[in-house]
Amino acid sequence: MTTMTDSALSPRSSRPVPRSQRRSALRRWLASSLTQHDRFAAYFEPLIQLVLPRWSTAGWRARVLEVRTELDDVYSLVLRPAKGWSGFNAGQYVEISAEQDGRRVSRIFSISSSPAYFARTGLIELTIRVQDQGRITPWLRQHFADGGLVSLSAAQGDFVVSQSTAPLLLIAGGNGITPFRSLLQQMQREGSVRPVQLLYYARHAQHFLFREEFDRLLLDMPQFSLTLLNNEEHGFISAAHIRQYCTDYAARDIMICGPTPMIQATRSALSELAVDAAQIRFEYFGAAPIDMQRANASDTLVAFKRSAINADIAAQPAQTLLEVAEQAGLKPVSGCRIGVCHQCICKKESGVVFNTKTGAYSDTGSEDIQLCISVAASDLILDL
Amino acid sequence: MTTSIPSAETLFSFEQEINAIRDDALSKVGQADADYIRRVIRWQRALDLLSRLVIVLGFIHPLFWVAGVLMLALAKILDNMEIGHNVMHGQYDWMNDPHINSRNFEWDIAADGESWKRYHNHEHHTYTNIIGKDRDYGYGLLRLSDDIPWRKKNLWQIITYLNLSLLFQWGVAYHELAAERIFFGKRRKDSHLPISREELKAAFFSKIGKQVFKDYVFWPLLCFPVFWSVLLGNVCANLIRNLWTSTIIFCGHFTEEAHTFSEEECQNETRGQWYYRQILGSSNLEGARWFHILTGHLSCQIEHHLFPDIPARHYPGMAKQVEQVCKAHGIPYNSGSFGHQYLTVVKRVLRYSLPDKSGRGTLATH
Repeated sequence: MTTMTDSALSPRSSRPVPRSQRRSALRRWLASSLTQHDRFAAYFEPLIQLVLPRWSTAGWRARVLEVRTELDDVYSLVLRPAKGWSGFNAGQYVEISAEQDGRRVSRIFSISSSPAYFARTGLIELTIRVQDQGRITPWLRQHFADGGLVSLSAAQGDFVVSQSTAPLLLIAGGNGITPFRSLLQQMQREGSVRPVQLLYYARHAQHFLFREEFDRLLLDMPQFSLTLLNNEEHGFISAAHIRQYCTDYAARDIMICGPTPMIQATRSALSELAVDAAQIRFEYFGAAPIDMQRANASDTLVAFKRSAINADIAAQPAQTLLEVAEQAGLKPVSGCRIGVCHQCICKKESGVVFNTKTGAYSDTGSEDIQLCISVAASDLILDL
Repeated sequence: MTTSIPSAETLFSFEQEINAIRDDALSKVGQADADYIRRVIRWQRALDLLSRLVIVLGFIHPLFWVAGVLMLALAKILDNMEIGHNVMHGQYDWMNDPHINSRNFEWDIAADGESWKRYHNHEHHTYTNIIGKDRDYGYGLLRLSDDIPWRKKNLWQIITYLNLSLLFQWGVAYHELAAERIFFGKRRKDSHLPISREELKAAFFSKIGKQVFKDYVFWPLLCFPVFWSVLLGNVCANLIRNLWTSTIIFCGHFTEEAHTFSEEECQNETRGQWYYRQILGSSNLEGARWFHILTGHLSCQIEHHLFPDIPARHYPGMAKQVEQVCKAHGIPYNSGSFGHQYLTVVKRVLRYSLPDKSGRGTLATH
């Protein structure tokens, strides 16, 4: 899942090097000298885990307490994160990893329960749709039916409610409802009086999640209104829908979450209605789409320096560098494949890449890039 | 000995059957492999830490010292062979583990892993036993085939060989720098070095600095009252590891019957020809499971060369199948006991220390 406000599309920001990193240079040298690892903990981890199976150098462990069925193809994982997990804001997401037949797999999910619920019970919930032919989502449901341990990242993302007091319009498509459930629960707990309307799209009338909960919220929160629209009956989102169901849309802060086409349709509907882009936040449900102009780069050459392999890639269809690398027979370390976990970071020696997440073109010089969200925009040399 | 190549039909069916063995093994790679490598890593870590303590206990009784040295040597052998070599070949990259992968792994040996991956995974594994292309063939020090012109220094190459074995980690560390003529010789014209010569030099000194600091400064100083005893113990452990790894590797490629190839023979070769060359250029060692583990499964050098990125614990099982396929296609498959194979290595080193006169008649050429 990728989060963006339109301001994130502005020129790329370089990640600052934390001061503590520089200070620990000596410790790193010692660790790599004595243990061949950057950190002492990484060397001792296999032994420590013999005694403390929940101890980990990467993220936190969390225990799966329950797999709750929401709909036929939607379930919620109820998790108890290990002590020390830093909590979250409503609307944020986490990465969970688990070992599937020896292979560490990870996925990103929005947290569908509220921070207030976590504070009270120590639990969080992730609500997950089973992907058709998915490798992970059906497996998670089966494998953890009787509980188990997963790894959990810190909560991330800036798809959180704006600081202003302007009324909110939430537009959800399908499983994109999950961050809004967290957000609405939290508003109710905090006794917020901020007006909030939810436009909720689903395929059929039977595909709406959390109906009973939302009905209770309607009783509890007089400033909350809910519009359920199913595609069968009402069709897809349009400017007309927004005008019809939310007359004061122009005065509202708008948050959108759903599948890529739904977000694109919503954004173009809003621009048709001349809504200021600064009012809009959105979160892709999955990888950001690759839509880029490559008029003058018909064929590009990607040189994988360390493996001494060159890949000639055609402009169409545009492929991420992770896919290019894998097709060239390389096996770069990768994780979420949607630009969140930073595991597939790789040093680009030269050339320009297009970042599908931020929509920005890179510098020509040497820098770290994420393979899974980078597309070649010129010939490249990669340290891979 | 250079070798000619069997018919295209034979090689094609041979290729199909070797591919089938590979696909079958690949389909079995999974949880058991992940559990296995983690288990070996735990043993290695435990031995590494414990051995440092036991060496110090040498002041109570010298046997502690001996035991500690053996444990440390064992930890280093496991780290270099069954863990490091195999992980850096990418055998466990599919696990997607942040530490157990070829990109990040670094081993407990003087050789910088990045440098080793460049020349070993690419040069040696692609151009195995091609005279002039595979610099692992005799390491530029030994004459192990009459394709290499005889020089006077070859007369005492058995001594050179023993020295190389004892100092093996330094040889491995220096290998790429020698090829690039960093300190000596005329600069190589066809260099494909992807980093600058300065970077190569810096990485070389950085890694050997770390290793020397660890074994010969840090641990002896930490155990200050027994400084010399710890220093000596660490030197011995490194020597044992050097001798072991070097011996295993020589048994894998330089037994009496291991073949060599010329560059022309290998141009435009098919996958089948490549398999064929890998098999003829390598030899296997037979032994118990613990022996395979201590060699990092390089006891199955043939299978390692056919399938360098399949987790090595599958090799002994695959070896039986590969041997059968070879037999069916009339392709020689060189396998024998450790003692026997090692004897032929020594014979080979000795034989080629003398100028070429008998050579050709004794080896069957195909």
